[in-house]
Amino acid sequence: MTTTATVTQESGDARRASTHATDEARELAGSHILCEALVREGVELLYGYPGGAIMPFYDALPAYPRLHHVLVRHEQAAAHAADGYARATGKVGVCVATSGPGATNLVTGLATAYMDSTPVVAITGQVGRPFIGRDAFQETDVLGLTLPITKHNFLVRRVEELADVVHEAFQLARSGRPGPVLIDVPKDVQFAKTVYRPAASVRSIELYRATRVPQPAPEAIQRAARLIAQARRPVIMSGHGVILSNAYSELRALAEKTNIPVITTLLGLSAFPVDHPLFLGMPGMHGPAFVNRAIGVTDLIIGVGLRFDDRVTGKVSEFAPQAQIIHIDIDPSELNKVKPAIVPILADAKAALAALAEAVEPGDHREWLSELRQWEAEEQERARRLSRPVPYPTPTDILDAIYEVTDGEAIVVSDVGQHQMWTARFYKWTHPNSHITSGGLGTMGFALPAAMGVKMGRPEATVWVVAGDGGFQMNIQELATLRDEGVEIKVAIMNNGYLGMVRQWQEFFHQRNYSETPISSPDYVKLAEAYGLTGMRVERREDVQAAVQKAMQTPGTVIIDFAIEAEANVYPMVPPGAAITDMIIESE
Amino acid sequence: MGLNMTEQAVISARAGQADIPPGSARLYTLVLLVDDRQGAIDRVVNVLRRRRANMRTLVVGPSEEAGVARVTVVVDDAEVGVEHLSEQLRKIVDVRQVLLFPAGQAIERELALVKVSCTAANRSEIIELGQHFGAQAVDLAPETLTLQVTGKGEQVEQLLERLQPYGIRELARSGCLAIARDE
Repeated sequence: MTTTATVTQESGDARRASTHATDEARELAGSHILCEALVREGVELLYGYPGGAIMPFYDALPAYPRLHHVLVRHEQAAAHAADGYARATGKVGVCVATSGPGATNLVTGLATAYMDSTPVVAITGQVGRPFIGRDAFQETDVLGLTLPITKHNFLVRRVEELADVVHEAFQLARSGRPGPVLIDVPKDVQFAKTVYRPAASVRSIELYRATRVPQPAPEAIQRAARLIAQARRPVIMSGHGVILSNAYSELRALAEKTNIPVITTLLGLSAFPVDHPLFLGMPGMHGPAFVNRAIGVTDLIIGVGLRFDDRVTGKVSEFAPQAQIIHIDIDPSELNKVKPAIVPILADAKAALAALAEAVEPGDHREWLSELRQWEAEEQERARRLSRPVPYPTPTDILDAIYEVTDGEAIVVSDVGQHQMWTARFYKWTHPNSHITSGGLGTMGFALPAAMGVKMGRPEATVWVVAGDGGFQMNIQELATLRDEGVEIKVAIMNNGYLGMVRQWQEFFHQRNYSETPISSPDYVKLAEAYGLTGMRVERREDVQAAVQKAMQTPGTVIIDFAIEAEANVYPMVPPGAAITDMIIESE
Repeated sequence: MGLNMTEQAVISARAGQADIPPGSARLYTLVLLVDDRQGAIDRVVNVLRRRRANMRTLVVGPSEEAGVARVTVVVDDAEVGVEHLSEQLRKIVDVRQVLLFPAGQAIERELALVKVSCTAANRSEIIELGQHFGAQAVDLAPETLTLQVTGKGEQVEQLLERLQPYGIRELARSGCLAIARDE
């Protein structure tokens, strides 16, 4: 990585710092070393918010024009934006905050990234070393706070170790099963000077297991291939790992050679095209009934890069009762965690799928597939029978319009709740990694800031946010950041005046006691205007397509407030703790 | 240790997070070699807590290598599979090695200091009893004496049982330390 010599208006000191592209040793303050190390890691974007303990870093930052800093309006959004950037690009996302409240505001975003295994590096300022442990102003034990929600974290004790720590953090964040890593830098370490030698700063952590990508054991691949050859009703279950390791073509090769149908988890969606004849759908709590039914009778699951999360399995003892499981994962602690695997394969999804696709014999499962398609057709026929003519926009109207108007080229970032399940179920995912959502933690308020990271990481892409009226209000302040940065995102709010998913649970499991779920919204059209953006309100279903079209033609970020049915439900639904074959379906 | 999941011949019918039937839990000793860095022990203890390990004893001390701490933990596996726990511990960046021994498989010892009530009349009787267990008297006072005993956990337990009638005033146990047997 080289720094550019394009600095023109900085002070002499700053110019000296940023124009050094050579490996010569020179004395630098910790704040500059931090920037140098970020540049060396190829960082171009940082999302952050300044404050007392991180001020020396912000003082150095303007000397590094390569580092584009985005001033968010809340640190939580910085973490989500870094996360969104990482999910969209596969590169490490970076967020920055000050000590105390700045760092605690990052926590939700880091936990979100941790649960979904995305590579994020968070840099926090800390009070000066002499103040640590003395309950100083804006002091929090950030290391302790983030211990269970980061892959690793560092408190930098000496300026001499700062550059190494930054490079270690990036290596850890992106290697093996990716995850967030936090670097806590005391203020006096940022001020302290030392001799910085770029060439000496890349140290590998040889001991760290996760930095090694295990190769699939050949005998395990052979055993798996034999099981696949014998299976009569096999399914592939593909998770986030397939997206993280870019294993789309390998997945497709395996499925097509063996003719085995593919189920994708929520975070696995878009790894396999929805319109492919072998695609089945999403499993679990809100999956189509026929997919869960398939899991109920399958005799072999080839699970790739998924962790058999409880939203997928329902009651574990009744999940796939007739199935043997081949489980491919890069993280050994996931193998045999929830469901024992007859063939556990410790490997990166890409390598394992490639090896497996090579080892298997071509297969034919016409009967099994036609049985599945029959079930699917029955389910769809039933849905058609139940659909009533409605005057207001429906979730499928909105999703279809987005798909059609963007020719299916959009990246869709959903928030958390009913709209998230509708989006997962009904959007036609045809492009790899076009679906981005907070799966494991289920973080409301994720979509808007994450979409900012997605768009800035992939500026050529059209980015749509689909959010509920509850979640959208949780990080609504980021509209200001989008406007400042000139970042163009289109937002569809599915507004039902409720915290819809909680209301649905109340309807099903709490005797319609709608406790604290009705929620009001501001006038989103005026709100958009107040932020210098464009807003629209759509109340009739025939206006949906035109509104989406208009949003695409209008420059800048556009918000469309769709008034959807207040008490629509996500069907089918597996009640929590039940077997996934025990679904609540829409009554006739 | 290179314990590769793909090479494990036996596949447990019980997945890592499932509870086992009450009464069938076993004790295991985990020995961890941990880089002695900021927060390293926190991380180990945090994973044990977070993954619902039932910790019986936890001992932290130096190892043969400078900068590497040796952590010995005795857990029972009622709530979480020990293999799963070991894999979670191996993921900690500071953890170099995790060894897992079913109880009794490694050489296991603990040390206890026991302060026992005594009188001039029964003092020598207590000391003699202690000697029977290899314990030494390390402090003598007019109304108490302190014994130091080392041995397997059950030996320590037996001595404590025998000392109970005299009145145990204070008890300090080190927790279990373990080292692998050589073939």
